[in-house]
Amino acid sequence: MNIVVTVKQVPDPNTPPRFFTIDAAAKHVLAPAGIPPVMNGYDANALEEAIRLKEQRGARVTAVSVGDAASRDTLRRAIALGAHAAVHVEGPPDLDGGGTAEGLAAAIGKLGEVDLVLCGRQASDTDGGQVLFELAERLGWPTVSPIKRIVQVEEGALVVDRITEEGSRRVRVELPALIGVSSEANQPRYPALKGVLIAKRAEIPTWRRADLGLGDPEPRVAVRRLYVESREARTEFVAGDSPAAIGAKLAERMREAGLL
Amino acid sequence: MGNVLVVGDAPRGKLGAGSLEVAAAGRLLADALGARLVGGLIGRDLKDAAETFLTSGVAELYVVDDPRYEPYLGEAYAAAGEAILAASAPRVALFPHTLDSREWVSRLAVRRRTGLVTDCVRLAVDDGQVVMAKPVYGGSVVAECVVRDEPQMATMRPGAYEPAAPGAVGRITPLEAPPVVPRARVLEETREEGPAGPRLKDARIVVAGGMGVGGREHWHLVEETAAVLGGAVGATRAVTDLGWVPSVHQVGLTGTSVAPDLYIAIGISGAVQHLAGITRAKTIVAINRDPEADIFRLAAFGAVGDAQAIVPAFVERVKQLRK
Repeated sequence: MNIVVTVKQVPDPNTPPRFFTIDAAAKHVLAPAGIPPVMNGYDANALEEAIRLKEQRGARVTAVSVGDAASRDTLRRAIALGAHAAVHVEGPPDLDGGGTAEGLAAAIGKLGEVDLVLCGRQASDTDGGQVLFELAERLGWPTVSPIKRIVQVEEGALVVDRITEEGSRRVRVELPALIGVSSEANQPRYPALKGVLIAKRAEIPTWRRADLGLGDPEPRVAVRRLYVESREARTEFVAGDSPAAIGAKLAERMREAGLL
Repeated sequence: MGNVLVVGDAPRGKLGAGSLEVAAAGRLLADALGARLVGGLIGRDLKDAAETFLTSGVAELYVVDDPRYEPYLGEAYAAAGEAILAASAPRVALFPHTLDSREWVSRLAVRRRTGLVTDCVRLAVDDGQVVMAKPVYGGSVVAECVVRDEPQMATMRPGAYEPAAPGAVGRITPLEAPPVVPRARVLEETREEGPAGPRLKDARIVVAGGMGVGGREHWHLVEETAAVLGGAVGATRAVTDLGWVPSVHQVGLTGTSVAPDLYIAIGISGAVQHLAGITRAKTIVAINRDPEADIFRLAAFGAVGDAQAIVPAFVERVKQLRK
C-alpha cells in the first residue's frame, strides 16, 4: 500500500496570542519570533496513522508539504518519525487553500500509484479545513473526515470510524481514498535517534509548480484586511487580603453583575 | 443582479439549528445588496424541515428530497448542491458550518471554480462588495476576505447570527439531482451519550480547568464549581492529554467550541489552542496565578492567586448567596 501524508508547518499553537503580529501591508500574520514553528497537530496524527499502517502491513509512506523552504524542516521531521520519503512542493500559503490543493494533487499525480492519502482534519493556523476536501475533489476520490480510528484494512477498502455531530459512524470506503484524521486517533510518537540520523541525510526534492505543469496560482479568495480583534475586556481584578477572601469576593461581584 | 442563497441542513429530516441563523445572515446581506433571498435544502423526508425553513423569509426554497441523502454522503450532497446553484443562480451562497458541510461545500466550490471562506463570523457589504470575516490563528486575528468569483461562498459559524424571525412565507420548488455511485458505505451509526451534566457544546455555563489547577488530585475543584453552578466541565488540551479527564471535555481548537453565557477558566493561561474554542463565550471569568496570563485580557472578572485556595472559598460563597 502506498500512502501519502500531507503535512503543513504552522506557528506553535501553544503560543500566547499576543506574540502574533500583523504585517498589514503584506496582509499576512507574522509568526512569533524565537518560537519555532511545528508540524500541524492533526497532520502529526495523520502521519502516526500512516506509520502504524507501515509497521503493521508494510506500507510505503511519503510525506508531502506545500509551502516555503522552511516547510522542509517539517518534512525532515516526518522522515525522522518514520516516513520513507518526503517531497517539498513550492507554493505560497493561501487562505482558501486552492493553490495548496492544486499543488498537492499534482504532486500525488506525479508520485503515481497512491492508494491512500492521509491528511490532518484541519490546520491550526487558518483553521479552514478545506484543503483536504479540495484535494479529494481534484483527485476525484471519496473522503471520510474527521476520523478517530482506522478500524480495518480490507482488499481495496478501508473501514474507519468517523466523528459526527452526535457520535460516530462506521464507514467502509473504497480505495483510493482520502482520510482526514482527528486527534482522537492516536498520540503521535517522538522521533527515535535512528530516525533523526536518517532524516539528516535524507534527500528531500523540491518540486516547483512549473515542474508539475502548473502555472502561477490564482487565489480565489483575496484577503482585504487583517486585524487583531479587540476582544479585550476591561478586567476587574478582585482584591482581598487572602486567597479565600478573593474567592468569596469574586462570587459577590459576579452575583452583583448578574452572572450567578 | 443575482440572488442570495441560503442552504440549510436537515439531518434525519429535522432542520438543523444553524439553518435559521444562516437565513438571518442571508436576509441582512440580501437587504444590503437589494437582492432576492432564496433557500436550498438537501436531505430525506424534508416536508417538515422545508416548512420551517420557509418561514425564514426565503422567497423560493429549492428542495432536493431523496432517500439517497440519508445517511450523509459527501459526493451526493455536492451533486445536489450543484443542482441548487444551477437553479437559483446566486451571487452569494451561505451554508451552516458543520462537519458535513466542510466536505461537500468545499467540493462544490472546486466544481464551480469559485472561492469559499469557511467558519465566517460576520458578513458585511462595503462599497457593493461582500466582505466575509473569519477568525484565524485561534481567534487572535480576524481576516476579512473577498471571494473573487461568483457565487461567493461561505460557511457560517454556529451562533454567529441569531436565528431568523418568522417572515413572509415563500414557495417550494422541488429539484432533482443526478444519482452518484457511492464509494463509501455507512456500516453503523452510533449516537453517543455525552458526559453527565449539560452538553459542553450547548451549555449556558462552562467551568474549565487547565494545568494551573495543580494536578489530577485537585481536579475535583473544577467539578465542584461546575456542579454548584449547574455548568458543564471543560478542560484544556494539556489536561486531557495528561488524562485528568476524558478528551470529550476538551475545549479549544482540537476540542469542542463552546458558546456559554458564562465561562469560568480555572488555572488556564490562554494559549491560542484554547482561546479558539471560547471566542463565542459572552462573559469570561478567570482565576490564575499569573496576572500577565492572556486569559485575563478577555476576562470581565479576574482573580489572581492559587486556584486551590481561591476556588473552595468561591464555591462556599456561591452556595451561601444562593440560599
